[in-house]
Amino acid sequence: MASLPGLNGSLDQYDNDALESVELSGPHSVQLAGGSEWRVKVSNDSQMSLTVQEGIAEIFGTELAVAVSYRFQNTSFALHAVEDVVLEWTGTLVQQQIIGEKDTNALHVYNLHFALEKQRAAGSQGPRVLLVGKRASGKTSLAKTLSSYALKTRDQGPVVVNLDPQQCIYTPPGCLSATPISDLIDVQNNGWGHSTTSGATALHAKQPLVKSFGLERISRNREWYRVQLQQLATSLDARLAHDSALRRVGIVVDTPALRELGDGEDDNYDFSLIHEIVTLFHINAVVVCAPDDSLAVQLHRELPVETLTIVRLPTSSGVILNEDVQIRALQSGAIRDYFYGDPSTVLSPYAVGVECDAVTVWEPENVMSGSSEAPQARLKPVEVNASNLQHALVAISYAPRSAPPEDVVKSGILGFALILEVHDTRRRLRVLLPVPGLLPDNALILTESRYLE
Amino acid sequence: MDCKKVAQDFASILEELTCNSRPIITTLTKTAEENIACAQQLVDAIERRIERCVPNQKLYAFYVLDSICKNAGSPYTIYFSRNLAKLYKRTYLLVDNQTRSSLIRLFQTWLNHNQGSMGHRLFGQEALDAIEQFLVKASSFQLKKVSPPTVPGLLREIDKLTSLTKERASQNPQDPRLNTKILVLKQLKQELQRESLAPQALQEVQSQLRKIFSQEQQILRKQQQQQQNLQKTVYQSSNPMSASPSQEPTPTPADPGVIPLFGSTSASSSFFPNASNIVPPSDSSRQADRVQKLYGSLAKEGLIKPIPQQSIVRLESVLSKNIDESLKVTLPPLHLMRDILGDVKSHFAAYGLDILKAPNLQLCQKTIIDENPAVYQLKNLLYRYKPNKCSTCGKRFGTSDDEKKRERDHLDWHFRINKRIKGTSGSNGTSVKNIQSRNWYLGDDQWQQFNDEEIVSTTRSDNEPLTLAKLDAASVDDTFNHAASGQGLAAVADVSNLAKKRVVVPETSIDMSFQCPICRDDQSAVYDDDTGEWVWLNCIESQGKYFHATCFHEAASSAPQQALHQGLERLKGLAG
Repeated sequence: MASLPGLNGSLDQYDNDALESVELSGPHSVQLAGGSEWRVKVSNDSQMSLTVQEGIAEIFGTELAVAVSYRFQNTSFALHAVEDVVLEWTGTLVQQQIIGEKDTNALHVYNLHFALEKQRAAGSQGPRVLLVGKRASGKTSLAKTLSSYALKTRDQGPVVVNLDPQQCIYTPPGCLSATPISDLIDVQNNGWGHSTTSGATALHAKQPLVKSFGLERISRNREWYRVQLQQLATSLDARLAHDSALRRVGIVVDTPALRELGDGEDDNYDFSLIHEIVTLFHINAVVVCAPDDSLAVQLHRELPVETLTIVRLPTSSGVILNEDVQIRALQSGAIRDYFYGDPSTVLSPYAVGVECDAVTVWEPENVMSGSSEAPQARLKPVEVNASNLQHALVAISYAPRSAPPEDVVKSGILGFALILEVHDTRRRLRVLLPVPGLLPDNALILTESRYLE
Repeated sequence: MDCKKVAQDFASILEELTCNSRPIITTLTKTAEENIACAQQLVDAIERRIERCVPNQKLYAFYVLDSICKNAGSPYTIYFSRNLAKLYKRTYLLVDNQTRSSLIRLFQTWLNHNQGSMGHRLFGQEALDAIEQFLVKASSFQLKKVSPPTVPGLLREIDKLTSLTKERASQNPQDPRLNTKILVLKQLKQELQRESLAPQALQEVQSQLRKIFSQEQQILRKQQQQQQNLQKTVYQSSNPMSASPSQEPTPTPADPGVIPLFGSTSASSSFFPNASNIVPPSDSSRQADRVQKLYGSLAKEGLIKPIPQQSIVRLESVLSKNIDESLKVTLPPLHLMRDILGDVKSHFAAYGLDILKAPNLQLCQKTIIDENPAVYQLKNLLYRYKPNKCSTCGKRFGTSDDEKKRERDHLDWHFRINKRIKGTSGSNGTSVKNIQSRNWYLGDDQWQQFNDEEIVSTTRSDNEPLTLAKLDAASVDDTFNHAASGQGLAAVADVSNLAKKRVVVPETSIDMSFQCPICRDDQSAVYDDDTGEWVWLNCIESQGKYFHATCFHEAASSAPQQALHQGLERLKGLAG
């Protein structure tokens, strides 16, 4: 397959040679036997679109419509052929591979889904699942698949809780979120789909609860992270308390890679945050995504096994390690999506000019900023100038501008704004808002994400 | 009248010719005379009739042929000449003796018929010659048959009968009657040889002998049929494709007297397929035996395998008999058939499945790892058990009434959404595009109260209010209800007043619509009956720009005074 013209490398597409690119984009046909998987990687600077011609194919549990073109960019995915599938694709792939049924973990995922489904059918309290694993062990893909299968079975998916600030699930980067999966996940969108918009979206939008952690690494302020966890868990509890349908489907909690939960060192895991998550979210099932049992054995020692079940889901052999470059690309893609939407849902953000004195910006304490003592869950003021704010993504809190930092910590967030430009001399800012109107007169919280259009 | 119709009528009258009916034959002859243009079709009709009707009616069709040729003449005579010999031979071989003589008499009239003074024969010379030759052969024995019985002839008959009886006796040695019969025959032979009997007496003996002979033949025929059937099954099982109908035993005439007992062997075997089956009887049974033996030995060697009851060969042999081109249906594409089959299979595989009763689904390591037949069944629930797949998004729907309603709503929703996404054309040709932006996230309180039905409902009307983030929430401690207090109500009242604001379309305006710089929606004008002018509803004018009154108010009221001016500045910049 490596000799296929489409696989000579993504850079070729940017050759100005027209003939070359025509040849590259010719439709290729792929036939998959039932049970097998087609794993592909699409680079950040090229596109690929595929059309299922016959058969049942799904991407992380979401079934694709037949004869409808799906477009992908900057992503890796596995297309699972439930039955024999014939598909056609055009565009450029960085790599592709067909995996036989024996080498996928689909069997185990189905087993897991129906085991969870049995719990859902048995009582009003659905399973509360925590996914744990190292980096690139397939946690997020599994969360997606489990949500989609639950949605297929009972028309209501679980609440997906994302505790990994590097992941962007219905949010820009730096967030923790809880999103009831009430309808199809958008397979084309790398952030699972859209949060609500003012207009029509091709698929039903989702309504996430978003907490802005704002730091790239949890280790930079674990206390701040814990505060966000607690707030998220409290609201989720309240939501589930009076939403019996959601309560019955339960929750699926996706966690950061294990080493992110510790001090960032490999193999010396700190399970205290896992412990806290288990308690806060009333976890009763822990699914360990790992190729062997060692991690599960460790967790057995660390967690209160009387109240929860720990199972290991064998890692799918083809999980692709997202490199840092790709993670960055995904994150900036998520910021772009938040303001401008994607090709299927184009959004119109709104740029406003603001006096520097008319904004108040806070930021969480950060281990990087030099203080010797461990950072607390506190906000400190940020001086409004170009070096601090240029191209920065800021969260707009619900707390008014004049509110004390303690109140800002406790408040939720309205959304995000992007500082397009800071004029130090004229003392003016240009701010991109997702919603037309003026910059709300609320406190802003600086994040570590930067985005240059 | 066109030929097709004539031929049809002609053929239907022919069908009625089941007896020798003078009027019908006359009618048909007249029709033929009047429709010489359709000669070919009429000839075809008669030939078909001769070929297809039951043997004892064939003669009448020949009379029609004869009558037409004699009265109408050319071109019928020419057309009939082509197949005449073949038709005549076939008919002759199938009919009884009486009919045969009628046919021969008919043929004699053809030979003697002179058309006018020209001396031409009625039919082509070749055809007549062929029939004559055939008749010479066929009648050589028939002539003998009608000659008075002679002693040597009777002796030959007795010999034949003896051999027949002997054969039977050899097959059934236990039957004492057969041996007696042989003895009687022997005596009779001696009797004949000894005395010279009067011709009448000889005739008596002959008729007696024939009776016995026919009885004997009937018994033998039965046996042979049994053997033939056996043979046939052997044939069919070894090569069913060759089991064409032609190999079926020819129906034997009801009257056993037809069988030419006393003909020369050569004549009987070449012209009478029946006779070849029966005389000499030992021949065919021996053949059957041989075939049987050969088959047995081949089977023993493993060279022939018995064909199982359900096999493609057998099916093919049955189907090939019934294949009718006109009934051939072009099948739908394979994947469609597979889809249907899959749906049906899934339905039955998952029907009545209860996950609570499914075994080995307790959440534990073993459940996750092991292959589980229950899960294999349950998987159907995710896919084809709900056979109706949305062609837009791939979402599946089941077959219950409730599910069908949901599917309809879902499809309607897609339709509405697509319309909105594509944008609709306004009355004045301007298109209203789906301009949208991200919503603010809900606050914790609002999110806790939120019901996702609001965003996923497909039956919700566009007018119902959506839960939007409350920008003016002064403090997060405020309860949800408290926030929507007096201020909110005032705003509502304001809004209803604002919507009433209108601007008369200025004469300088090029088109009848304006674009609101805030929401970028186009607003087209409406005719106001009261004032008799075109107006823009919900519109206010500010420094030469037109805004939606509601948008303008929203933008202005959500900002402090200073910000208002800034905002307006910005808006003007945008609009300009």
